[in-house]
Amino acid sequence: MKIWTSEHIFNHPWETVTQAAWRKYPNPMTPSIIGTDVVERRVVDGVLHTHRLVQSKWYFPKWTHALIGTAKTCFASERSTVDPERKQMVLKTNNLTFCRNISVDEVLYYEPHPADANKTLLKQEATVTVFGVPLSHYMEDLLTSIISTNAGKGRQGLEWVIGLINTEVKGIARGTDEILHSTRRSIDEVTESARKSMDEISAQAAKAAKAMHIT
Amino acid sequence: MDSVGEDCNELKQQYDACFNSWFSERFLKGQTDDSACVPIFRVYQECVKRAIRDKKINLREIDPIFETNSDEDNANSSDGQQQQKGKS
Repeated sequence: MKIWTSEHIFNHPWETVTQAAWRKYPNPMTPSIIGTDVVERRVVDGVLHTHRLVQSKWYFPKWTHALIGTAKTCFASERSTVDPERKQMVLKTNNLTFCRNISVDEVLYYEPHPADANKTLLKQEATVTVFGVPLSHYMEDLLTSIISTNAGKGRQGLEWVIGLINTEVKGIARGTDEILHSTRRSIDEVTESARKSMDEISAQAAKAAKAMHIT
Repeated sequence: MDSVGEDCNELKQQYDACFNSWFSERFLKGQTDDSACVPIFRVYQECVKRAIRDKKINLREIDPIFETNSDEDNANSSDGQQQQKGKS
């Protein structure tokens, strides 16, 4: 087992950083993250709980392929909480793939900097465990160094998204209500088109049933 | 950012837009009512769950917070890992 930890200070308030954290992907620095999906999300006692599925591509050196297989699409499960009162965002990620031999657990904490409320402190830790394969220690070292590199890129990516958000805020074109309204409108459109295709299906089914009766 | 299900991308984008504006304009300002994006979330969820099933992705156990309304989930608890290993 290998544990890796790191700390980083963002020169932005917690509110900005947490907004950016949700919009972290895509960013040009971490092209390895290719998809995210919200599986569950709920507010319980004022705390936002989210379960996301994160899809990524990891590239390993060739010598490891025989041990853990070639780079494929990997899936990870990310569980997070955002407590707006305590101003704490915690994201816990663990991998779902890499077979049964490798376990990667990562935790990120975003909190206001204790000495400066206009800054945000990110604490990061990762636990890597490789078991049941030869050269476990080498594999753990390798994964840890990949995680360390990726963490650096992840922070740069987040800075990039913050820049994007700040630009948006300056030139804000649409109000929240308008976005919420247009979302509702497009759901109606989706439901409408779903209904239409259901009608088509039933019409065709009726036609087919009729044809079968005739023959 | 894409969804696991190619056909869910458009729904996902609409949902993300709704969520991002709810998160910054309401949730961070103390309004915890999360009903604003529920309709689009439901449609998007159906699509994603279908894609997850089709791709045979095993999400392991679902966090208890989403099954009951208890708040036993603690961000700093360390027994989450054991649960996860026991299951696989």
